[in-house]
Amino acid sequence: MTVCARMRRDLGLALLLLLSAAVESDGMSPPGKPVFLGCRSPEKETFTCWWEPGSGGGLPTTHRLYYEREKLEGTHECPDYHSAGKNSCFFDKDHTSIWVDYYLTVVASNALGNATSGHFKMDVMEIVKPNAPENVTLQVMKREDNPYLHVRWEHPHNTDTKSGWVTIKYELRVKHRNNNEWKEYTSGTQTQFNLYNINPGEMYVVQVRCRLDHGSWSEWSNSTSVKTFNYPQNDKPFWILVSALSTVPFLTAMCILVIKRKYVKKVLLPPVPGPKIRGIDVQLLKRGRSEDVSNALIINQGFPSVPAWKDEIEDYLIVSDDVLLPDPHRKKKSLTVAAGFHLNLEIQCKESLGQRDWEKAEERKNGIDTFPPQLPTQKQLCPNVTFVHAEATDQRWPIHDAAAESTVQLLAPTGYVDIQRHKSMQEEADGNEMDYTRVNDGNILILQKDKFPGCMDVQRQEENIPEDYSRVKEVDGDNKVLLQRQSFSADSSCGEKGTPYTDCTNKKPINPHVPGPSKVELIGSGYVDTIY
Amino acid sequence: MSGTIRSVSVVWLLLLCLVLCRTLTGTGAAPICANAQAGCYAVSLANLFDRVVQHSARMHGISNDLHSEFEQYFLPSKNQVGRVGRNCHTSTILTPNGKENAQRMAREELTEVILKLLVAWRDPLWHFHRSMAHHHDFTNFSSDKALEMSDMVHELRKGVERVAEKMQTLGLMSDPVNSQVSPEALPPPDSGEWRRMKDYDLLYCFRRDSNKVKNYLKILKCRIVPEHGC
Repeated sequence: MTVCARMRRDLGLALLLLLSAAVESDGMSPPGKPVFLGCRSPEKETFTCWWEPGSGGGLPTTHRLYYEREKLEGTHECPDYHSAGKNSCFFDKDHTSIWVDYYLTVVASNALGNATSGHFKMDVMEIVKPNAPENVTLQVMKREDNPYLHVRWEHPHNTDTKSGWVTIKYELRVKHRNNNEWKEYTSGTQTQFNLYNINPGEMYVVQVRCRLDHGSWSEWSNSTSVKTFNYPQNDKPFWILVSALSTVPFLTAMCILVIKRKYVKKVLLPPVPGPKIRGIDVQLLKRGRSEDVSNALIINQGFPSVPAWKDEIEDYLIVSDDVLLPDPHRKKKSLTVAAGFHLNLEIQCKESLGQRDWEKAEERKNGIDTFPPQLPTQKQLCPNVTFVHAEATDQRWPIHDAAAESTVQLLAPTGYVDIQRHKSMQEEADGNEMDYTRVNDGNILILQKDKFPGCMDVQRQEENIPEDYSRVKEVDGDNKVLLQRQSFSADSSCGEKGTPYTDCTNKKPINPHVPGPSKVELIGSGYVDTIY
Repeated sequence: MSGTIRSVSVVWLLLLCLVLCRTLTGTGAAPICANAQAGCYAVSLANLFDRVVQHSARMHGISNDLHSEFEQYFLPSKNQVGRVGRNCHTSTILTPNGKENAQRMAREELTEVILKLLVAWRDPLWHFHRSMAHHHDFTNFSSDKALEMSDMVHELRKGVERVAEKMQTLGLMSDPVNSQVSPEALPPPDSGEWRRMKDYDLLYCFRRDSNKVKNYLKILKCRIVPEHGC
């Protein structure tokens, strides 16, 4: 073998190696097996099928789709590879039959070989999936206080709804802009829908989809959104509510104020205490009779009434010697009990004693002379009986005791028994303590002397005491005043019951000053006064 | 006392009779006649069409459900089905396979096709239901659906016949349709081709045929009485 031949052989080997290397580095191979992705008919009149080519194989590969059909003889190739894009096959109306089975295959081929996909069987009836509805519009419709959303759309343009070939059913879904929760509604075959449960001031997003007969649902349409108005009327019901709620407590407060106006008045305008003059009867003043008014005003003044002393002699109490008997026919005398009379009597003591005194007085009515000797005991029992001295006034208070009945009316807390006293007596009035037992219920006023020296005082002052002057000793019942006859004897029987003071020697005849029946009228001042 | 009870019971009986009579003479009892004769009340053609269309839609829905159930239980591999595929026993009936074909077809022919289909499925469905009842693999729900389906086929056929009558009386359709569709004209149904079919194939075929019927009826309706919902 020559060297040249050997070299040629080596070159050939090298070339072969190179070629094989080159071939392997490029990856040329028969094409991979394509895979069917699926088919779809948007309107039940045409359909499209897609496939996925297998590994490229490096060489230019062509794909072909072949199909066989029920009730159709032979194998046919795809009529349109381009209308629907790459790796697709579009069957137009002429090549589409419904309710028949198609058997599809795709063959990928290149220079090195072929690859066939598996059979894909389909019926157009099963692969119907329409396009999404179009022209979705969203409007906010105002309707008084109930606004609502009005959604409108159109059927996908390639579907035929007029001939009844397909029946489209729609569905829509709504959500708030920021929310992620969709709310779905079925619209049936209507191409519009009203949404009523919307909130004002919100952004709403709506999508629609459809399907043909019992086919697959389409994709959701593009989102359409709208913003609802922020209704100003929202404030109105709020303010109405506020005013309504505030009216109720306001009204109740007013009612309460009106009902309790007196109390309110008392609180806001506390009553200014009116002037209260002791002894003045406001009712009397109100009555307005001048004489009453003047009487009320004057009597209660309580002047020292110096001139009164001058007239003192003229002021005397006229009493009679007659026994005071309770006689309903006689006129009543009255004894005022003034307010100044201060009794620290305990009521029990008073009452008990009063009862006894009353009884005793009753007995005495019939002529028992002696003054109940228990008066001193009364004093002991009621130690705190004090006597407020009386002041002489120019008032007369003659008491026609015998012929007249006297009535003693106790003006309860305001009454006091005012006994006319001589001036000299008055000087010692403070020291004098006369005990007066006052009984409320029987209106009995029992006067008593505790200190018999008082009697002495009386005696001492006898000279000044006018003849007609008597002291009221005891008020017996409603119509009896027992007068104490003043005697100058040292006999302590001065303290005794005095209707017939026969014991007292210094009896002075008392001329009844008053010819006729007289009565003692009670005046608020407490002075016993005889009224003719 | 007994007199009042008797009178009350008589009154109650009368009331009952009235109620019953009313219900009996109500909408159910009055026959639907093609012409508005005395004693029956006439339903409009549009109304009739609506009824049959809805009926057919429901029938197809049931068949769809049953078919999906079957697919879950007995999922046949796609490859198993041969190229020729199944052969439905109704494949001999010529049916338009597209919209244009269906629209081009005369209404008499279309009605005839519908009726043929419905007639052809009466027996197979009844047998299907029987076989389902025997097989305890299926739920009671499926068996009820099968029964309902077979009933609906029967009723739908009657309804379509009524529609055809109405159309003929209204002059919308020529007369000899009915005679063509009479059962005698059809090939004997007991040839039993369908007996050899498996249940799953039967369901598949019926699903397709019920879809056909529904579509054809809708086309007819929208062609003849297009007012409502076309």
